[in-house]
Amino acid sequence: MKDLLIPSVATILATRDETPDTRTFALRFRDDEEHRSFSFRPGQFVELSVFGAGEAPFCLASSPTRPEHIEVTVRRCGVVTNALHALGPGDEVGLRGPCGNGFDVEAAQGWDLLFVAGGIGLPPLRGLIWNVLDQRSRFGHITILYGARTPADLVYKDELRVWSAMDGVEVKVTVDRGAPGWEGNVGMVPVLFDQVELRPERTVAYVCGPPVMIKFVVQDLLMRKFAPERVISTLERMMQCGVGKCNHCCVGHRYLCRDGPVFSFAEIREMWE
Amino acid sequence: MIAATRAEPDGRWVLPKENAGAWVERLLEGAQVIAPVAGPEGEEVYDVVRTPHQVLWDFVNPLDPPKRFVLPQTEPLARIEKTDGRFRVEPIHDEAPRVFLNLRNCDLQGFHFLRRMHAADLPDPSFLRRFDSLTLVSLACTRPCPWGFCICCEGGPFLREGYDLQLTDLGGVFLAEVGSAKGRKALEAGQGLFRPATEAEQVRRLELEQQALRSFGPETCHFGSAMRRISTRRVADELWEAMGPWCLECGGCNLACPTCYCFSVKDRSEEPWRGNAGGEGSAEQVWTRCRIWDSCQYQAFTLEASGHNPREAKRERIKRRFYHKVSAQYYRKDQALGCVGCGRCILVCMGTTDMPSVVAAIRKGRWEGGRL
Repeated sequence: MKDLLIPSVATILATRDETPDTRTFALRFRDDEEHRSFSFRPGQFVELSVFGAGEAPFCLASSPTRPEHIEVTVRRCGVVTNALHALGPGDEVGLRGPCGNGFDVEAAQGWDLLFVAGGIGLPPLRGLIWNVLDQRSRFGHITILYGARTPADLVYKDELRVWSAMDGVEVKVTVDRGAPGWEGNVGMVPVLFDQVELRPERTVAYVCGPPVMIKFVVQDLLMRKFAPERVISTLERMMQCGVGKCNHCCVGHRYLCRDGPVFSFAEIREMWE
Repeated sequence: MIAATRAEPDGRWVLPKENAGAWVERLLEGAQVIAPVAGPEGEEVYDVVRTPHQVLWDFVNPLDPPKRFVLPQTEPLARIEKTDGRFRVEPIHDEAPRVFLNLRNCDLQGFHFLRRMHAADLPDPSFLRRFDSLTLVSLACTRPCPWGFCICCEGGPFLREGYDLQLTDLGGVFLAEVGSAKGRKALEAGQGLFRPATEAEQVRRLELEQQALRSFGPETCHFGSAMRRISTRRVADELWEAMGPWCLECGGCNLACPTCYCFSVKDRSEEPWRGNAGGEGSAEQVWTRCRIWDSCQYQAFTLEASGHNPREAKRERIKRRFYHKVSAQYYRKDQALGCVGCGRCILVCMGTTDMPSVVAAIRKGRWEGGRL
């Protein structure tokens, strides 16, 4: 039986700066066999160790359809993330996972997909976005709405351009506060709802961002007649073990790391403690 | 469910008290023995036994719960070595055979609670290996302790199953009931020291159980109505709000509780001078990844790196503790109440937000606070 809490060693292959405080890390298990056998669903996460500094959960920001390496996008804001940002290509970290339930991609087959992300909420959806784009014919129209505080806080700027150039993919971006040179939308994410054609009866919506953004976006979507079971979000709590044991992330008797982090709004509204 | 089987009818033996030391001697030959002993200040504590005469056979259940022997307060999980920028992660396993002697039945139920939880869903082999190398010999309580309410939550004073061996002090002898193959093995280690129990001795055991049940103190805990209210969200926010200021956030209730297991994981740096970095000598840096006890009553327990904290208010944290221990939702998940009635929280909680007080407040819909 494999030990629950023991990480394997992985190597940082490359890094890419997304914003002044956010960086994407491409990782590969040091053991090739272990890397090949690592299979996951978009929306799952890994427990990443910077040895000596500790361990923290990060969503898998890459798609299982691109298995040569896995990616996480990390904002520098705590002990582990600061230590991780000090590392670069060739350095080693610990990886444990995949953890959590992930998105049910099969169930979304044939539907139009609406992605709504705020700030650092795009990385958890990015793995799913690439996943559906890599199997484009299985899904209907794809709409990606993304907002951040300022233009400098937008992550995956190059990919937003790549996505918007694709057939049947609509991308809209907004910032809370503009900046010199910014000619795009200004305002919170929901301002984008009026710029696209929403088809609630044939759409699955995926929402991820800060708690307050999720709250307003979900309210708005429900008002626009989206079914609660087709409004899907990925939730966050302080997680430690990632395997449903340590109790840090529970909401009521549910463990976000094990029963989640992906829930439909129909499930979320039944959660209480 | 409880791993051990129901006691066989013929599985009853007696150990004359003059043979008890010799039995412990035999147990010490094959395993580490943990038992209640007199601590340095004369207080009763569970500890590793070196000689049989250290073992206490008549004692009040120690305040420091025995759970640290199955779930160590700081448990080394892996040794992490860094050499030339490369890492090596070596899991640390503990499966040393141990005999836990004179465990009280409430704590035994606490052990099984922890085992069920670690075996459920994704099993934790590190915990299970240590637990399953342990033989559990309980000593039934013929006199309830003054603050215990095990009688309210299937925690004791006598048990029908769950033990490997259950001892009852009949005066001149200990009656031993075998509950499992491991218990039989511990009994066989004392070959020649035990003899089959007489009918009179078995009757005496039942009389003592009845007598113990009759002599419980006033501390009772009506879980039924509290569970109904907690599970159906019928505890007023004002009640949790009223309890909030009484909690001193010390975490004592969690640390003393036989069923609490919340934890965090930390890397401990092992400097060579600490003497436990190992002998290889070539590693530049060594850490031990440790699982450490944590407490859901600490504010930082749910604090996220962003600064967001969903359970910042004390009322939310107290509510959380009692939801986990007393809700029907968790009863289904854990297959038991998260309380074995040992009463340790009554002793450690300066703010009186202990199990019986909170359960009473929920039942009455009123928080009084304080104790005479």
